[in-house]
Amino acid sequence: MKRRGIAGAIICASAILISSLTSTGAIAASKAAFPTGPVKLVMWWWGEQEAPGAKIWLADTIKAYKVKHPNVTIQTVLQTTDGLIPAFAAAAAAKKGPDLQYFWGGIYAQQPGWDGQIAAVSDYIPAQELAHYINANTEEAFQGKIWTAPWYVNPSFPVVARKDVFSKYGLTVPTTWSALLKSCDVLSAKGVTTLAGGIKDGWFGGWLYSMIGSQSVTSSKDVISAVLGTQKFTDPIHAAWWTRLQETQKHHCWNADINSLELYQAQQLWVSGKAAMTVVAGPDTPNFVAKVGASKVVVMPMPKWGTGPFAGKLGTTSQTIGITKWSKYPQVAADFLMFSHERAQLDNWFAKTGSMPADDRFNIAGVADPVKKALFTKVLSGGPYLENFIPAQLDTDAVFANAQLVLKGTRTGAQAAANMQSVMERLRKTDRNLLKNFTAWAK
Amino acid sequence: MTSAATTAYLASVPDSSGAARGRRRDFGPWPWILPAGIGILFIFGYSVVDLLQQSFKYRGDWVGFDNFQLVVTDPLFQTAIFHNALLLFTVPILVALALLFAILLFETRRGMRFYRSAVFLPYLLPIPVVGVVFGQLLQLNGALNAGLKSLGLQSFALDWLGDPNQALVTMSAIIIWKEVGFGTILILARLISLPTELLEAAQIDGAGFFKKHLKITIPQLRSVILFYAINEAIVMVSWVFNYVYVMTNGQGGPGNATMVSELYIYRSAFQNQAPELAAAAAVLLLISTLFFIVGFFKVQSRAQSGIFDE
Repeated sequence: MKRRGIAGAIICASAILISSLTSTGAIAASKAAFPTGPVKLVMWWWGEQEAPGAKIWLADTIKAYKVKHPNVTIQTVLQTTDGLIPAFAAAAAAKKGPDLQYFWGGIYAQQPGWDGQIAAVSDYIPAQELAHYINANTEEAFQGKIWTAPWYVNPSFPVVARKDVFSKYGLTVPTTWSALLKSCDVLSAKGVTTLAGGIKDGWFGGWLYSMIGSQSVTSSKDVISAVLGTQKFTDPIHAAWWTRLQETQKHHCWNADINSLELYQAQQLWVSGKAAMTVVAGPDTPNFVAKVGASKVVVMPMPKWGTGPFAGKLGTTSQTIGITKWSKYPQVAADFLMFSHERAQLDNWFAKTGSMPADDRFNIAGVADPVKKALFTKVLSGGPYLENFIPAQLDTDAVFANAQLVLKGTRTGAQAAANMQSVMERLRKTDRNLLKNFTAWAK
Repeated sequence: MTSAATTAYLASVPDSSGAARGRRRDFGPWPWILPAGIGILFIFGYSVVDLLQQSFKYRGDWVGFDNFQLVVTDPLFQTAIFHNALLLFTVPILVALALLFAILLFETRRGMRFYRSAVFLPYLLPIPVVGVVFGQLLQLNGALNAGLKSLGLQSFALDWLGDPNQALVTMSAIIIWKEVGFGTILILARLISLPTELLEAAQIDGAGFFKKHLKITIPQLRSVILFYAINEAIVMVSWVFNYVYVMTNGQGGPGNATMVSELYIYRSAFQNQAPELAAAAAVLLLISTLFFIVGFFKVQSRAQSGIFDE
């Protein structure tokens, strides 16, 4: 009985615990002539959440491409925010899934490249074409190759402020850190939230890191240096932002329920007039402005506290599309990506979403809306989006987690910086290719 | 015993001389178990072997116990295991509540079917639904706190899932709410099947409610209570992923306040692209779960008069 019990136990425990952990591998992409037979591509994407209208644009673009290439069918699958990375990781482990995959910029596109899950788009798209894709060379380049093709630009991240709420309490929209904290004191005393945010799902922590933290660094190389260990996340240029974040908590800047609301839920507090400011996704900014009325809103970067070159500036990143290593038709996938950057598609993107396509051939001068025009112009000279230059695990394990605790008031800024440094030190041991990859990326 | 019966009995007694062994083979239950056993071995056995292999490798290269060392020394994994251990404390609460509800239902004359359904209903609800509903309900400005405030109980209106000091306790309470129905029905089923003579005799002798159940009912429910306790211990060690994932958006937050070993494995495998660390953590979890499952089989084998044999 004892032996049977143990055997049964092994079987039952296996049934409980087995997940689809399979080894990864790469399938060499083959370059071939454009096929004339039936071709089916699958595209997993995300973005409707931050660029409403993207779904319609994608349907339009696929339809137009079908007219050009009747033998090509493209099926799209919209992913959730929390599911985007895990779903692709599972697909990559199985070497089965989409031909075209959506990635956030920087590390989110680099890592799948390093892991052999995607083919470099520069193997299929000419360099002179890629040169037009905004942020391709700053975020997606690695050892002379470009991993993914930027799709649309994400000004990261604009603060939208309601002039009407501030003026109601005798205040003006704060543009400096000290003015912000003063506004927080005044408004919180009146029961009004100065900044609306939701950090339950963690993502907002990464936004805040990039918006506040970028004000003290001199370039994205500083951040990579801290990842590699030649600088530390406890050094003032990397740690000061945690102290600033703690100040916002101490001055009651945020809605009290920030830890029990998700990122996009909290933004509604601003729309309803319960909060004076909030942070919104760049592509979605014009929609938020339209909800309240352009005359009542100021679109601005995070109030300035630092003296670095990016203080008082927006960050810039592009959301991108990559071609998977297992795709049977990488050249068709690449052709579709180039098609999506043709003038008609760029204009249609703007028409459908109101946001900026990641292509310098898009005519900003033709944009009539002053809010959009100002945003697009600012983003062309934007700073690096820091979150995209640290390992994704450091983001979730240190930035997300510590931001939640600092905003709850259970961890100080100094403790958060120390924790971030210790998580990074540990990551250098657990991710045995991290140093090699980041060193190569830094070059 | 008749002569024919005696002959049959003698034929069934093993031949101690061994002469009969070559003539007649008794394979016991194995021919019946074999088809299913092969299927299970093929599906899960292969995966376990693959998992074990992965746990000793890094990108295909043999690394010995390196992955295990990295996992065991990871503060996040230690936190996750600690939280699983804390969740084990809910097991006695679950057992006590299930027992109490079962006895109350047993004693209820009117509306037993309704109450029974009401207690069992949460167990039937899908965990993601429960997670989403409680996630909304327990927001700082959610319905529960609004209700408490309207009753003048502001001091009880906590940030149930947003406060790192509160989140795991809240999570435990939700798991208890969901899981207690299973135990109640299990214990009640056994309770109904018990012979009533002893209880009636005790009542005639003047035993009160507590004495009757403490001295007569509970001792007879020992096997089913043990089964339920072990089952719930397995749940707390390796089946709470859904609750945590849905209620914290896969973060195990706030901070790492609700991080559990399954979420650690999931994040290692699918977010952090470290399948070998996930495999090592899964093997460790497999071993700890085995501990409970072996216990479960022991209880099952000893339950001669328990629910399994009736």
